[in-house]
Amino acid sequence: MSLLELERVSKYYGQLDERVALRDVSLQIGVGEMVVVWGMRRSGRSTLLRIAAGIEAPDTGVVRFEQRDLQAHPGATLGKGIGYCRKRFAASEGQLVIDQLVTGLVARGVPLSQATSRARAALERAAIASCATLTPAELGGSETVRAAIARALAFAPRLLLIDEPTIGVDLLERDAILLLLHSLAQEGIAILASTGESPGLSGARALTLSEGELHGRHAPELAEVVPLRPTG
Amino acid sequence: MQSAVHWALLGLVIERPSYGYELANRFEHAYAGMLQLSGFSYVYTALDTLQCRGMIEELPGTRTGRQPKPRYRATAEGINSYQERLITQMREDFRRSRLFARQLAVFAHEPEMALDVIERYGQACLEEAGETPVLTTAGTDAVAGLAERLVSEERRLAMGARLPWIDYARREFKALATGRM
Repeated sequence: MSLLELERVSKYYGQLDERVALRDVSLQIGVGEMVVVWGMRRSGRSTLLRIAAGIEAPDTGVVRFEQRDLQAHPGATLGKGIGYCRKRFAASEGQLVIDQLVTGLVARGVPLSQATSRARAALERAAIASCATLTPAELGGSETVRAAIARALAFAPRLLLIDEPTIGVDLLERDAILLLLHSLAQEGIAILASTGESPGLSGARALTLSEGELHGRHAPELAEVVPLRPTG
Repeated sequence: MQSAVHWALLGLVIERPSYGYELANRFEHAYAGMLQLSGFSYVYTALDTLQCRGMIEELPGTRTGRQPKPRYRATAEGINSYQERLITQMREDFRRSRLFARQLAVFAHEPEMALDVIERYGQACLEEAGETPVLTTAGTDAVAGLAERLVSEERRLAMGARLPWIDYARREFKALATGRM
């Protein structure tokens, strides 16, 4: 059974829907699977993530998370099962990195003390605890990515969406970020990432997006089911 | 000398002097998934060839005991030839890439056929990209670690060039296909 399923999703932009962002895209992601979509700029890769997160609605097609139609339950899953990593930190959400995490949790009704401990645990898991009391502006490239991942992890997602996890990241830090994402997948959190760089595809089910069309293996490879006893 | 296996064995001898059986084991480890020995005994045939061509020589004093294990080291000529071979091989790769692009262009009047080839080529690239391991920071021995990093980065960068090319070729042939409608 798929954790996330996009079925024949299309999305158009422009006054006359003249710009195709996604065209008839179908994709299934299983529990604990890491899927990376490679695409050039304007290929539709960011739109794909926003639609998978339920932030944007498709013009046609259906997006299901744990078999629930996201359009039928708008806002019900983002932060409650789906974690979308935003690498921008708004000043209004807190001065320090830890504040950014705590604010999001408190805003969703988590008591302050519980929010603080969850934020600390998430920062620890993303190996960024040492930057908890820095301001987002003080973070380097890979630290910003880790903080963004931590902010999403604080909500204990079952699916993590991240746009360009290795862009702007130092060459030597790049593999460490990918290893973090792989380790999260091994813990059972499905990952859907987009990238414009080939390094990000390492060790994942890789797909490409070209002019809004998805190419590659759309569904996880399932092990062949061998009956215990021959039938017939 | 045409055999890729011979050149690979010469490379291992350059890396460090070894005897036949040890070389066969090192070969299997170093070139797993890239080159294959037809059998362990093939190593001895290859060592004979390399020695006859003056590319390797026996290390003095290693053919001793009841079961002598002569160790081989590379000669200066062997190292020079190996360097030349690496460059020639890369030139051959460039030529092969150009050849592929040229051969694909024969489908200019049948763009759907080209798109089919591009689709399958793209799938092969995606599988290769997905299989490229993420390097761990765990320390391995210096040579093995360096080899792993160089191979991994080469695969990634090559893929970084191929995927945009596939995207480009797909657009070109799609435009041709649309124009035919």
